[in-house]
Amino acid sequence: MRLNEIMIKDVITSTPGTTIKTALTIMEEKRIRHLPIVNELDEIIGIVSDRDLRDASPSRFEKDCNQHLEKPIKNVMITDVLTAFPNDFVEEASNIMTENQISCLPIEDDGKLIGIITETDLLHTLVKLTGADLPSSRLEVEVDNKSGMLASVAQIIKEHHLNIHSALVYPSFKDDKKVLVFRIQAMNIRPVTEAIKKQGYKVVWPTNLEMKV
Amino acid sequence: MKKDAAYIFSPEQLTYKFSEEHPFNQKRLLLTHDLLHKVSALDSNQIFPARKATDEELKLVHDKDYVEAVKKASEGYNPSSYKTTYGIGTDDTPSFLKMHDAAAWLVGGTLAAVDLVFEHGYKHALNLGGGLHHGFRGKASGFCVYNDSSIAIEYMRRKYKAKVLYVDTDAHHGDGVQWAFYNDPNVCTLSLHESGRFLFPGTGHVNERGHGEGSGYSFNVPLEAFTEDDSFLESYEKSFREVVEYFRPDVIITQNGADAHYYDPLTHLCGTMKTYHYIPKLAHELAHQYCEGRWIAVGGGGYDIWRVVPRAWAAIWLEMTGKTSVTKNPIPESWLQRWSKEAPVDLPIHWYDEENFYPEIPRKQEITKKNERTVLKSLKPIYDTENENKMQL
Repeated sequence: MRLNEIMIKDVITSTPGTTIKTALTIMEEKRIRHLPIVNELDEIIGIVSDRDLRDASPSRFEKDCNQHLEKPIKNVMITDVLTAFPNDFVEEASNIMTENQISCLPIEDDGKLIGIITETDLLHTLVKLTGADLPSSRLEVEVDNKSGMLASVAQIIKEHHLNIHSALVYPSFKDDKKVLVFRIQAMNIRPVTEAIKKQGYKVVWPTNLEMKV
Repeated sequence: MKKDAAYIFSPEQLTYKFSEEHPFNQKRLLLTHDLLHKVSALDSNQIFPARKATDEELKLVHDKDYVEAVKKASEGYNPSSYKTTYGIGTDDTPSFLKMHDAAAWLVGGTLAAVDLVFEHGYKHALNLGGGLHHGFRGKASGFCVYNDSSIAIEYMRRKYKAKVLYVDTDAHHGDGVQWAFYNDPNVCTLSLHESGRFLFPGTGHVNERGHGEGSGYSFNVPLEAFTEDDSFLESYEKSFREVVEYFRPDVIITQNGADAHYYDPLTHLCGTMKTYHYIPKLAHELAHQYCEGRWIAVGGGGYDIWRVVPRAWAAIWLEMTGKTSVTKNPIPESWLQRWSKEAPVDLPIHWYDEENFYPEIPRKQEITKKNERTVLKSLKPIYDTENENKMQL
């Protein structure tokens, strides 16, 4: 999945001359935490977060020092902005964000701002990638850590004519094992579960069916 | 005869049958009917026929092209594109001959129940053939073709201008009904179910709260796998009481899927019959307290058709008609005799399950705590409104 599929295209921006006070109001009203600053060519020249602006605001105990709020945001904005490109992979962007401990990435095309993604968008994407937003059942299988396992289990699912919404493969805490997690478009996954067990795989979920006498 | 309760049944409702092996089995209706008969709790003058819903009624909720596709599939036309476009022909919801008619009869049963309550002076009405809560506007899903509850709710909205509270205690999330009224502030949905992390359909998170004008009128209580009676009932009682007080409906419609029982093969909740006696009891009480008694109950899931569903569904009718004292006696010998040969399991001999009939569940405390938190989270908007109102006073 690439960023241009999940990015927000309708970006709320500001200009360097905007006052801190106005910027705070915009962020509060639009319920956003990051405000990219662009020049007249729509090029990204800076960014401010709600925290940057609050750092520049007077303490609530000093009510009379409001003159700072009238200063332009170019005085407080961060200018070495990390950006991403529309064809970057989602996982690459997530990596940049965690490595640099930032929670949003403006997206540029030829220097111009065309979109933005935030932590929230990435979490939504995670929900989507795991298929949990569509009617489906969870099936979790532990397999040996060797080639062909995903295909073999998927083959059994195919033989039951079931559609897979999503599939995740991840390392188990045991070195010699891997875990496959499927979201399958079916309410009754008992028959396929039984078939997978019969072929010797360990089904982690649905569990405890055998507990039911 | 006082017009307390009406029982809807027509043999056509038994024709909703995917295949011999399919877990959705309407023999449940016969077993329940017969059990009530054998305890002398069902008079013939309390039984009313269902009817076949008209196309216009189906289209109160469903898309025209979907209804047409179901009709074609009923006649054996079932291209593979129907699977993806309409959800018909899948393993869950395979097509069968006269599927449209059978599904329309289930819908008509719930509509008949509505009319008996709103036009013929009955306080309560029960259509155990209904409760197909996974049906979407344009797609079949999870054993459900037409969504009788959604259609009945829309019908009540238009015909009687009623404010409707829908309460769903099926182990699966009531997604079809929720999405159908997600934007509607006059229909409030409350669903308790096994969390989507574990079970189909995967939705039903606390943060699904409605949208636009309907924001704040959708409530979800996703319960942990292996939740037992006490925690289930505590969650049910608290959320139902809070939501009904907040929404103040004109009528309550309850979906009574009986698949949260320990014996149910498709889910991982650990309820017992205690839960199924209390669910209708509270609904009955609150219908009288808030809606002058107007309460429509439908069936739903329930895949242990021998040991769980007949007792659970009969309990709804016994509650509606004030005959719960029947449950102090054992299950009648005549019912056991009639069905025991056919049943692949030992039939239950009492209305309640025996103590400790299933192994102890580990992590019980953790499950209970987590469910308590989920209920609080789900009801947060109500508590917030209450606090605001207090501040204004």
